[in-house]
Amino acid sequence: MLIWFLPLFLLFLLIGLPVFFGLLAAPGLLLWLNGQEKDITLLYRNVYNGMDSFPLMAIPFFMLAGELMNKGGITIRLVQFSQALMGHLRGGLAQVNVLSSILFAGLSGSAVADTSALGSMLIPAMEKEGYTRRFAAAITAASSVIGPIIPPSGIMIIYAYVMGESVAALFLAGIVPGILVGVGLMVMIRVTADRYDLPAAKRVAFDGVELGNLEKWVSFALVRLNIGLLIWVIAPLPETAGLMTWVTFLGALAVAHALMLALRTQVSSEFRTICKRAIVPLQTPVLILGGILGGVFTPTEAAAVAVAYALFVAFFVLRTMSLRDLPDILSRAGLTSAVVLLLVGAAMAFKTVVSLSYAPQILADYILTLSENPLILLFLINLLLFIVGMFLDAGPAIIILGPILAPIFTDLGVDSIHFAIIMSVNLTVGLATPPMGLVLFVAAAVSKEKVETIAKAILPFLAVEVAVIFLITYVPAISMTIPRLTGFAN
Amino acid sequence: MGALLTVLAPISIVNAIVLRIGRGMGIIAIVLMVVAILIQVVARYVFNNALPWPDEAARFCMMWMTGLMAPTAFRRGGFVALDMISGFLNSRFAALLGLLLLVISLMILIVAVQIGYNEVTGFGGRFATASLYLPTFDGWFRVPRSWMMLSLLVGVILLLSVNVELILRSIVTFFGGGAKLPDLDLSELAAGSD
Repeated sequence: MLIWFLPLFLLFLLIGLPVFFGLLAAPGLLLWLNGQEKDITLLYRNVYNGMDSFPLMAIPFFMLAGELMNKGGITIRLVQFSQALMGHLRGGLAQVNVLSSILFAGLSGSAVADTSALGSMLIPAMEKEGYTRRFAAAITAASSVIGPIIPPSGIMIIYAYVMGESVAALFLAGIVPGILVGVGLMVMIRVTADRYDLPAAKRVAFDGVELGNLEKWVSFALVRLNIGLLIWVIAPLPETAGLMTWVTFLGALAVAHALMLALRTQVSSEFRTICKRAIVPLQTPVLILGGILGGVFTPTEAAAVAVAYALFVAFFVLRTMSLRDLPDILSRAGLTSAVVLLLVGAAMAFKTVVSLSYAPQILADYILTLSENPLILLFLINLLLFIVGMFLDAGPAIIILGPILAPIFTDLGVDSIHFAIIMSVNLTVGLATPPMGLVLFVAAAVSKEKVETIAKAILPFLAVEVAVIFLITYVPAISMTIPRLTGFAN
Repeated sequence: MGALLTVLAPISIVNAIVLRIGRGMGIIAIVLMVVAILIQVVARYVFNNALPWPDEAARFCMMWMTGLMAPTAFRRGGFVALDMISGFLNSRFAALLGLLLLVISLMILIVAVQIGYNEVTGFGGRFATASLYLPTFDGWFRVPRSWMMLSLLVGVILLLSVNVELILRSIVTFFGGGAKLPDLDLSELAAGSD
């Protein structure tokens, strides 16, 4: 009888019951009808125990860091940096939009934040340059889905926690697929540039930008430290200890400095200034990933350090925030985190009933009657996820479907991290698909364009994203290479 | 209608005040979470001392942040739900469906309050936390686990209170008095995990 919780849950979901209540109502009702009242107490305990988790704390921290960075005025710096790199190409501002999304993804991990922050700046700018408003809104929405794919990513933290995977492994596995989505969109812009007669923009469009004294020195030190550390780590130096370690590190720093001096002569002073202004915000993903990869921090600690860094940057380096702004930022991050944490708690309770009902085994038996070929099954599951993504946001969809689908495919021999990425990327793309794609509505609100118009204009970009989903599905190396190279996956 | 609005007004005022206090405490809880984890990192690398309490203290704060802030999100319509079907219905049927959904939520919350109370006052709540102590005049007081478990119970009670308010609002809307309803504080939520 317990297996009926799944259709009952879908019914609750369809009639509009909030997912949190649906996750509890369906199994709770059936447990009660089954005379298992004591297990209803177990549901409550699992909600509590599901939320009481150290890894889960990364969610509010990353949300807070993203909010701080966003309010701290880093968006304009990333856009200027992207324009300095790509603005001269055909469809320059559209390319800038995509590159900004890739860079923004390393700071925020939210497609909605990306659409709202970049859209409010780039859509009017693109319109001014001669792009249609619907094209500008469509590319903003399409590129924003990169946010939750490239680390840090809220949905990957949720997936890792609900399915017992390593957050670090999922973060690393998301890097290449995220960049691939971006590159695919850039290629599509270039291909359609003639058809839509897209203009090129200036390489550096924001003349006269200035750099504060502290920021100048901080960016000077950061860029040399990062390059120096990279040289020190990858250079084939003999094993050293004590003083010699410091000597080799200082040597690497000197090489980094020489490299920067050589590059200095190759570019204009405006270009240099704009690059320097991007260094401080772009240090955030370096700090997070470097800290996790180097074994210095756990993902939760890395998220807390990212918050501290964002505060330091906003208050002391960029000086774009005052204490008065903090309560609002903390409140916004706290409110959204609270909803997500409750959902994850309910998902953990739901997962218990999923196991008790043998739903994955029954579903697996049914799925295997369709085909025993994992490649065909992956195709079918991608279709299912894509349809689900049209109606449901990525986070709740992962919470609901992860415990049901992941065990089936891992039993079929698909690597659990690979499946996590297939699921995350597919459902994230769903954020930009009509009729219920969340970022379509945000893009419509930001651009004042109709959702239906954006939904039509986004189709070529969605086609690219669907192609990338299948590429990720059938070429596991795309997502698995970095985790394997770094020892986070087998 | 007048009687319903008379009942609704004090509930609405109490909810607004209590949730405002909850948000304030939630904000303090987030700050303490960040501070606790940073202390953990600094203690480990600077003082070479792996402290036992920051992990549990941060989780304690996170549970309270969730319990105190989720009801505000619920009141502002921040709980994720599909609203396709209500979009196809006329306003009267949509209000009726909304009412039905709120009644289902109410039943879940009533059961949750009962279980939550038994949990906090029951066997599990008699244990103490592993590493949380408070200074008192008589020495160190070990924080009981029930203090942490109380966070979810408080959250569920606040959700229940908000749910009752939303049910009353929904009934008033169903009878065509939507324009007379007191305003809700509908400030924006942050971007979320998506």
